[in-house]
Amino acid sequence: MTKEERLKKRHRSEKRFKLYGVASIFVALLFVLILVQNIFSKGSSAFMKTAINVEVFFDPELLELQNGASSDDILQADFFDITIETLLKAYPAKNLDEENELIDLFSTDAEIEIRKAFLENNNLVGKKINLEITASDDIDQLHKGNYPRDLPEDRRRISNFQLNIYDNLVESKKIVKNFNNYFFKNGDSRNPELAGIGGALVGSFYSILICLLLSFPVAVLASIYLEEFAPKNKITDFIEININNLAAVPSIVYGLLALQILLATIQLPRSTPLVAGITLALMTLPRIIIPCRASLKAVPPSIREGALAVGASKFQSVFHHVVPLALPGTLSGTIIGLAQALGETAPLILIGMVAFVVDIPSTPIDPSSSLPVQVYLWSESAERGFVEKTSATIMMLLSFLIVMNFIAVYLRQKFEKRWN
Amino acid sequence: MSNIKIKSKNLNVYYGQKQALFDVNLDINEKEVTALIGPSGCGKSTFIRCINRMNDVIDICKVEGNIEIDGIEVNDKELDVVSLRERVGMVFQKPNPFPKSIYDNISYGPKIHGKGETKSELDEIVEKSLRKAALWEEVKDRLDEPGTGLSGGQQQRLCIARAISVNPEVILMDEPCSALDPIATAKIEELIDELKKTYTIVIVTHSMAQAVRVSQKTGFFHLGKVIEVGKTEKIFKNPDNKMTQDYITGRFG
Ligand SMILES: Nc1ncnc2c1ncn2[C@@H]1O[C@H](COP(=O)(O)OP(=O)(O)OP(=O)(O)O)[C@@H](O)[C@H]1O
Ligand SMILES: [Mg+2]
Repeated sequence: MTKEERLKKRHRSEKRFKLYGVASIFVALLFVLILVQNIFSKGSSAFMKTAINVEVFFDPELLELQNGASSDDILQADFFDITIETLLKAYPAKNLDEENELIDLFSTDAEIEIRKAFLENNNLVGKKINLEITASDDIDQLHKGNYPRDLPEDRRRISNFQLNIYDNLVESKKIVKNFNNYFFKNGDSRNPELAGIGGALVGSFYSILICLLLSFPVAVLASIYLEEFAPKNKITDFIEININNLAAVPSIVYGLLALQILLATIQLPRSTPLVAGITLALMTLPRIIIPCRASLKAVPPSIREGALAVGASKFQSVFHHVVPLALPGTLSGTIIGLAQALGETAPLILIGMVAFVVDIPSTPIDPSSSLPVQVYLWSESAERGFVEKTSATIMMLLSFLIVMNFIAVYLRQKFEKRWN
Repeated sequence: MSNIKIKSKNLNVYYGQKQALFDVNLDINEKEVTALIGPSGCGKSTFIRCINRMNDVIDICKVEGNIEIDGIEVNDKELDVVSLRERVGMVFQKPNPFPKSIYDNISYGPKIHGKGETKSELDEIVEKSLRKAALWEEVKDRLDEPGTGLSGGQQQRLCIARAISVNPEVILMDEPCSALDPIATAKIEELIDELKKTYTIVIVTHSMAQAVRVSQKTGFFHLGKVIEVGKTEKIFKNPDNKMTQDYITGRFG
């Protein structure tokens, strides 16, 4: 081979390599795109809910209230009859069956919504107002176009009579699409139109907070000690290897550990963010120690020597110079560790966080759900309404993860000091 | 004849199994510049790091024998290394300013030793140290800029100023000019000349010319042993030892 040929060959192989690289990035991006597109197309509709505009007449007789009644009376007042009256006014029904079908078009929370409107406004007794009452899951899905209406009637959940009413309501512009505040505010529910991730959000927040509070200080202190103070010998080598091993242990094993120790032995309350937080902290600990030690290691020894040479003690050289330099890397490692913990499902299932929890937890020792577990729970449900909610929850989870990773990168780039 | 400031007696240093210094006996005079020369790996750095106990940092390093500063034993386990290093400053081969402001680089030492109680006292120390290191005029308007943003020569003078800031008695310099160009080197050499009025200086150098220019006394190391010590003039004009002769004339090293 001549020199020229060899040169040409080298250029060609370089070009080929670049091409492979670009192609593989392209394939990877394609997968991400498909995933995002899929989740987005399924999930975005969950952020809207269908409501039906009805006229409510707060009949004093049905309420058994006078204007200016005491607040106690109002809280006691019975809204059931008013609700039925209101819903029945939406469309003329001929018999009891039709009345029932008519009422079924509305969410089971119609009564609560009417009552809430009454409590939020003063002096509604004897007055009429227009209210947008949340529609049932079936109407919601129908209105969003997720429900096939051309099936034969006996295979549909919506009867011809109901379809007829729906078309009528659409024509008279009584059906509206609103922002779905229930999705963010409510806990879980058997009714998809009422189900929300409020409980899961709070549960995840408490779990991650506890995880952070437990794992961060322990991990940082352990890293500083191991990296800066501990003698380098067989014992510390052994510890180092085992920290790396722990980081690779499947998360479900931590769930089993928590089940045995935290729940069975110490008897902490089951299904709570407290237990979830402790479990996630155990899992996250080595995942923080590793980047933390790496960033301590990355601080050049000359900085330590410089500090020691002007008479700083070991402690001062570490805490005045090394730790501040290692902080950005440590923080970003911590955030990435927490992001992993946020998406962790398996150990939480083992400690009973799969329980059906309607109430929003107010403390970390209340039973609760968490975002990834909520995804798991809803993905098992048959109702169409839960399909979009599953994807919407994944969207929320992913956006939290993206934000956290973004913060991690930002911290690293903004505060990492350059040295020569 | 000047006073002896530092006296090493039968100093042996080991890195694990490997012995790096063999029975080193060397006297360093007060307010003089002592140059240490010798081929790479002969133990010059090891020796000066014994004077401020910097070798403590290295786990496998073991020091035997005596080093006295003003008659006080340095290798005494009871001795407080912090106050030792306050008295014996060090400048390293590669400039290693803290990644902080110029001001903080200088004020750090005095602060941890409780030398500057007030801001104005600290300001004064910073200015004095930078002036002594011949850096003041170049940086007085940007004291809050990072020290790592200076040029190599300026960084090294910053490190010298940092060493001066705690007002030591001895300054150890381990090849302070090896990363610098001739102009920066000349500045540092001038500076060393000035500093020897106040401080006892030990400098490790690979440049014979530099040793001749800055030092009054020279020690020649070879394979961990002191081969010859004496007045710089004598070492370079007519050394007693054949090996010294060979080394300074560039026949080995
Ligand atoms: N941290 C260490 N661990 C093990 N051996 C070391 C260590 N530092 C130095 N040595 C060994 O000790 C001997 C003396 O090293 P030293 O650094 O003192 O040499 P030097 O004279 O300063 O060389 P140079 O001119 O290249 O800087 C060398 O053989 C070196 O390999
Ligand atoms: Mg050296």
